[in-house]
Amino acid sequence: MRIFPRSYGANVVVQRFIVIIALVVLFGVFSITTPKFFTLQNVITVALQTSTLAFMGIGVTYVIITGGIDLSIGSVLALSGVIAGLASRAGVSVWVSFLLGLIVGIGCGIVNGFLVTAFDLPPFIATLGMMQIARGIALQITGARAVAGLPAAFGILGNGALWRTENFPGIPYPVVIMIAIALVFDFVLRRHRIGRFIYAVGSNEEAARLSGINVNRTKIIAYIVSGTLAGLTGIVVMSRIVTAQPNAGVAYELDAIATAVIGGTSLMGGSGTISGTMIGAFIVGILRNGLNMRGVSYFIQQIIIGLVIVAAVTADRLQKRRQGR
Amino acid sequence: MKGKGFLAVLLCGVMLFGVAALAWAAEPQEIAVIVKEATSSFWQNVAKGAQDAEKELVAQGENIKVTFIGPESETKIEQQVNLVENAINRKVMAIVLAPSDPDALVPVVMKAKAAGIPVVIIDSLLNAEEGYVSFLATDNRAAGILCANELIKRAGTKGKVAVMSYVPGVGSEIGRVGGFIDTIKEKTEMEIIGPFYSQSDMVTALNQTIDVLSANPDITAIFGANEPTAIGMGRAIEQLGLAGKIVAIGFDGNKDLQEMVRNGTLQGIAVQNPYRMGYEGVKIAFAAAKGEEVPKYIDTGIVFVTKENIDSEEAKQVLY
Repeated sequence: MRIFPRSYGANVVVQRFIVIIALVVLFGVFSITTPKFFTLQNVITVALQTSTLAFMGIGVTYVIITGGIDLSIGSVLALSGVIAGLASRAGVSVWVSFLLGLIVGIGCGIVNGFLVTAFDLPPFIATLGMMQIARGIALQITGARAVAGLPAAFGILGNGALWRTENFPGIPYPVVIMIAIALVFDFVLRRHRIGRFIYAVGSNEEAARLSGINVNRTKIIAYIVSGTLAGLTGIVVMSRIVTAQPNAGVAYELDAIATAVIGGTSLMGGSGTISGTMIGAFIVGILRNGLNMRGVSYFIQQIIIGLVIVAAVTADRLQKRRQGR
Repeated sequence: MKGKGFLAVLLCGVMLFGVAALAWAAEPQEIAVIVKEATSSFWQNVAKGAQDAEKELVAQGENIKVTFIGPESETKIEQQVNLVENAINRKVMAIVLAPSDPDALVPVVMKAKAAGIPVVIIDSLLNAEEGYVSFLATDNRAAGILCANELIKRAGTKGKVAVMSYVPGVGSEIGRVGGFIDTIKEKTEMEIIGPFYSQSDMVTALNQTIDVLSANPDITAIFGANEPTAIGMGRAIEQLGLAGKIVAIGFDGNKDLQEMVRNGTLQGIAVQNPYRMGYEGVKIAFAAAKGEEVPKYIDTGIVFVTKENIDSEEAKQVLY
């Protein structure tokens, strides 16, 4: 993963620099002012809490680069998790249940992609519809009740860890998955043909079409990526609480969009990076954890996170304006 | 031939009369129970209570029936308004209503009153006291105070207590968490951390609890103020290996929370009594329709479930 993408010019590098500085400053300030923040255990906790943000953020980054948006992430997450939970409770083996949850996410992504391409719906509307539909199904099939009494194995994915020993808490599986996913999706976006197509479609759809890119296919792939990662988030999240909650994840899509935007992804499409989104996810994750640890009021937390989003995009805009001159 | 025709007419007449008589006899007066959403276990328990009340009334020789209905979800407020309107148009005997919104249901409740149909409100507040005959609900402030007292009993009056709440500013939250915090402040010297708000999202509650417990290793007690929050909180306590080391009190009682009480992660859960809302709601609605004097407010109460009483009859009736 390249922290400073060489191919996107000076403004991206400067903007990225600002965001990294922000991340480091944030980490430093919390480390100094908050006892117990800079401990091995808490750093691992931050990574674990950030992992779900990162999954969703990476997915929505793909979609946003194509010039789209995915508002269905929170609902798809809930549906995937609930399906996995119901299957597991019905006696299906835990890993097959997780796979079913993932398939549901993929399915929702395919439907979103088709609505946007074959039916030419605005992405905002198509995914707004999916947001309602997926949530409705999740509530309907559970009767709005949490799916309780899941087997202990259901919690392994979210709560297990790699290399856990007496003195070392281990690297939680969601963090391992996060690192793998970030590397893979970063590589695909920067190096693979599909990645180039995604940028091309988002920069100028007509030009992309004329140069022979299958625009519809590219877009569908982006929505599938987002749906799949939403599904993954769903099973990880439900595994962490060993309960499948049909009204989990309300408004998570906005967190996901925020991480992408803080990381420099433009809602206009055509620009954005996975490394940026990862930094954005960690900024939000560290803020949440640090402010909780400091005991900062929930209301103030919301104000601060709102300000960070606005500040990040403002910095981006000012940078671009200066460049344009 | 002639005889046969007469017989046919007679037969028809008897049948017609029979049908009419049947319809006449089978025209019991209806008490409509309209809830926020019909499927979840909480409302199913309300339904169970309402059905038991119906059985008792019918056994006493009253010619009534109880219908139970609700919109698809708690947020479908206009649908609920329509359901009440339909009940008024059917000229039901009485309405038992759990309003999804404290204001949106006011006009239609006033309409029922104008039509001479008594309305009993259950579970949630309606901002028009003059519109209904009786209000049955959990007194959330009393419930919060009870939780605080149970917590103090186990954790003492010193140390630190974290308050994990759900949605800021919701009616039940103000009463419940307010009553809890006021009691802690009044009776103890404990330092209060929070409240934190999970937005009723289990994972948010899990993350917040881990953060709070990591930052404050000297926390002695913690309160999770509704079902998803208490589940997330309990999972955090389990994962940090603090089960049994801190006093943890939860609210509501699904299967996961019951398990946490059994294995000692939570020292107790405060469980509401939806069955009683349905049962007494119908009884009171019936009495009001007969013109009897009914109490304006009834606290349906809380059952505090612990490891010791979780298998008792009293607990079984409220757990789901």
